Amino acid sequence: MAATHVSLELETALIARVCKGERDAFYELVRPYEKAVYVAARSVLGNDEEAEDAAQEAVLKAFVNLRNFRAESKFSTWLIQIAINEARMRLRKQHRELYEDIERADHEGDYTPRDFADWREIPEETVHRKQLRQALTKAIAALEAKYREVFVLRDVQHLSIAETAKMLGITAANVKTRLLRARLQLRDALAPGLDGGWSLPEARYKKVRPW
Amino acid sequence: MSTELTIDCGHVFREISNYIEGEVDAGLRARMEAHFKQCAHCTAILDGTRNVLRLVGDGEVFELPAGFSQRLYRKLEQHLDQGNSPK
Repeated sequence: MAATHVSLELETALIARVCKGERDAFYELVRPYEKAVYVAARSVLGNDEEAEDAAQEAVLKAFVNLRNFRAESKFSTWLIQIAINEARMRLRKQHRELYEDIERADHEGDYTPRDFADWREIPEETVHRKQLRQALTKAIAALEAKYREVFVLRDVQHLSIAETAKMLGITAANVKTRLLRARLQLRDALAPGLDGGWSLPEARYKKVRPW
Repeated sequence: MSTELTIDCGHVFREISNYIEGEVDAGLRARMEAHFKQCAHCTAILDGTRNVLRLVGDGEVFELPAGFSQRLYRKLEQHLDQGNSPK
């Protein structure tokens, strides 16, 4: 999941050193997963500042509870799970009613795409265009938390469907349903620029639908 | 016979994500592919969805806020200086 992979032996040795009181070993243990922890918190909270607070708290909790870590799971998985739990707890405190909605099973009806902009290829220079990147971040933040969590873990962090389900405590079928919704909503959100708008300099969006 | 072979747009939308994941069976895959050949709307949705995945898949969507690491380790230092240690 994380871009950096630390060998299991090294991790085990670092954990043993932390438990013996070497604090620097903990920095070394956590550093490769900083971003994954932040992104996991952000997937739940959808906001920079809160996600950073939750990520910090998760790292502190991981430190204090390090002796409870069992090597059946990867350290990164355990750490990210703590971050998700921490972020969900904060979300629950802030918006109890919204959170209850997350916990409910998916009963919503089918989602029908709203915009049929044709977006065959993204030119390489457009992929990095700031405007498109910002629109994407904004669209992800605007997703409901239950869709955002699944989307970020699966499509941004590249966890498998089974890992995503386990991490979020939902079924694989729920992951698939929510992924579908999240992906289609994001496509819809970006659609107005997809048929050429994002490629134009100073893009003022022009409708170029063939229908 | 033909009703079994054809598939409508609603059905395609419901399965499009599974299709991208490679999680539809061969029969459904063939029916979806036949549908895409005839339906510009569904093809546009498929291409757009794939492009969203391509855009987010490169790990650049979320940047760590500037100074994140420093703040994290400062907080951890404070925590450790207060005498906290693994239980």
